Amino acid sequence: MANRISRKKTIFLVRLMVIITTAYFIIFSSVNREVEIYGYIFIVFYLLTNLIVAYIPEKYFHDDKIFYGFVLFDSILLPAGIYFSGYVGSDLYLMFFFIISLTTMSARFEYLMLNTIFFSIIYCWLLYEKGVLTGPQSGSYLIQIPFIMVIALFYGYLITTRLRDKDIRINEVRQRYEQIVQATDVLMCIVDYDGKFLFANQKFVKFHGCRDEENLYSLTISQFYHEDENEAEKSLNYVRSVYQNNDMVQYESLDKSHDIWFANTLSPIRDESNRNVIAVCIISKDITDRIEKENKLNHTVELLIKTRDQLIQQDKMAALGRMASGIAHEIRNPLEIIYMGVDYLENNIPDNNAQVLEAIEKIFNAVHRADTIIKNILSFSRQSECKITQIPICQLLDKTLSLAQQTIQKGRVTVKCEYDDKSLEVAGDYNMLEQVLLNLVNNAVDAMKESSPKVLMVRVYRKLITEIGYKTGYRYTDFFKIGDDMIIVEVSDTGKGMPKDVQSKIFEPFFTTKPSNEGTGLGLSIVHMIMERLNGTIDVESRENQGTTFFIKLQPTIKVFDAKEA
Amino acid sequence: MQEKIKALVIDDEVDFCYFVQKNLMQSGMFDVLVSNNGKDGIKMAVNNKPDIILLDLFMPDMPGEDVADALKENFITAKIPILFVTALATNDDVTEGAENKIGNNYILPKPIRTKKLMETIMKILNKTSSDK
Repeated sequence: MANRISRKKTIFLVRLMVIITTAYFIIFSSVNREVEIYGYIFIVFYLLTNLIVAYIPEKYFHDDKIFYGFVLFDSILLPAGIYFSGYVGSDLYLMFFFIISLTTMSARFEYLMLNTIFFSIIYCWLLYEKGVLTGPQSGSYLIQIPFIMVIALFYGYLITTRLRDKDIRINEVRQRYEQIVQATDVLMCIVDYDGKFLFANQKFVKFHGCRDEENLYSLTISQFYHEDENEAEKSLNYVRSVYQNNDMVQYESLDKSHDIWFANTLSPIRDESNRNVIAVCIISKDITDRIEKENKLNHTVELLIKTRDQLIQQDKMAALGRMASGIAHEIRNPLEIIYMGVDYLENNIPDNNAQVLEAIEKIFNAVHRADTIIKNILSFSRQSECKITQIPICQLLDKTLSLAQQTIQKGRVTVKCEYDDKSLEVAGDYNMLEQVLLNLVNNAVDAMKESSPKVLMVRVYRKLITEIGYKTGYRYTDFFKIGDDMIIVEVSDTGKGMPKDVQSKIFEPFFTTKPSNEGTGLGLSIVHMIMERLNGTIDVESRENQGTTFFIKLQPTIKVFDAKEA
Repeated sequence: MQEKIKALVIDDEVDFCYFVQKNLMQSGMFDVLVSNNGKDGIKMAVNNKPDIILLDLFMPDMPGEDVADALKENFITAKIPILFVTALATNDDVTEGAENKIGNNYILPKPIRTKKLMETIMKILNKTSSDK
């Protein structure tokens, strides 16, 4: 199609040939010198009209009516020229073929026949005017008219059959494309710069619930996302970017109203002559299955990584446990000998020397302390079963407080409880949680030895996670995911508080601020470790001489541990 | 005068055996025999028929549990109560004392003072005699 000679060019060339031929007749065949001047004027005029043709835009020649106007104009002009030249005969008959040739280009059988009849009448009239029809050769001239008709019919037949074949072929190709477009499983549409629909396949029309295609063509692409302005703007921006970059764009989107994922391909449809984008073809493929599979896979990978990390952690703990129990055994044997030896000495002091007895008491205390440390190390490293269940946290707190009642009363501490909802539950190991809470309560009581007032405050509440923090965020390693809930247990005292440098160390093993015979420095590190095992966290806030608050953040449901159990 | 309780200590810790023997015998209520390995311990138990056997769980020549099994299999020593005195105990529940058992035997975690050891032995003996 691209190398087809344009109609305008053809008309221009054919007319030029007609003009040249006519000029030849007028100049060389004229018998009447008087008319010659008109002949020249006619040729110039004819050339001028052709010059005008050269300046008329191509598109007007594609309109059949305008085209036919040109042909009609020539049909009148040409006989007129011949008439002026005073030559009417077989040459005029030749000219007729040019006119037929021109007319055939209109590709319309009716116009061709109309033109033929019209021209035949003019021809007859010219012959009559010249008096040829009354002469002796009138028969041979008259016979030309049916010939013209036959030739016109022949041309007409050729045109129509050729056109019909072409039409059939075009129709076949069009149908094939139509079938492909309609049979395909993808949503297909063509939109312009403003997102207005120029075409959509039936799948698209059906999917978006339009009554018919016509109904669709009054809409724009952004109107399909009326619930979601962001999505609407995004889709239109993609269309515009295709216009601007003159290149294909691909993106994935979620149709929220149908809950379907689409892979969209936006390809530019270009103007054949200047390669500018004139429309955008959007092909949307349903990839929900793939996305779901991807999500499942990601989830599985996440679980695998999580499980692997847990296994590594468990392995570490097991190794530590083995080492700790080995050490415990090795140390406890000499401790036992010290106990027994000192017992022996105690029974054999001459005269019950009081100073020696005191010294022996100190040795006993030291051995007892060493044994306590070993016990703590053992419980720190112990691989006891971590049995996760749903625990009513408020009940557990009440039980813990009653367990610590003696300590609390001894310390003259007032206890205040604030439970948001008595029925709140957390996922955790009952014994471990009890150990954690008991530890915190005892610490709080200890911290308030020299302060006044002495208030131990316990709060329990549910909180929606909105901020990223330690083990809190979007990553798979995070215990708490943004948008989920967590249960927070606050244990606060009005004690002496801690300076910042102490706060940063309290969870380290063997760090303690208590006198060496009171604390082993393992309590809070055990608490910290237990919290990690329960997929929870522990934070501390403290101000010197005002008090300290511990925040225990726990999982509300057991689901987080599924990976562990699987 | 009350008859002395005959106790057999089987433990590879020589110094522990030494002091247990000294302390228990000093109390005047015990006669203490000592063996530093499992095999000799079994022989001594068969030969002397002690009232109670204090046994270590972890010994180089044979584990305490095997010693206990061997003693239980022998009809001469089968009825003698066994008290494991061990540093291996890692379970807090063990600290409860005489009520804890490995199999049919009692267990006491180290370190333990003489007084507690004697109390535990008396408890066990009272229990076994009342069972009879």
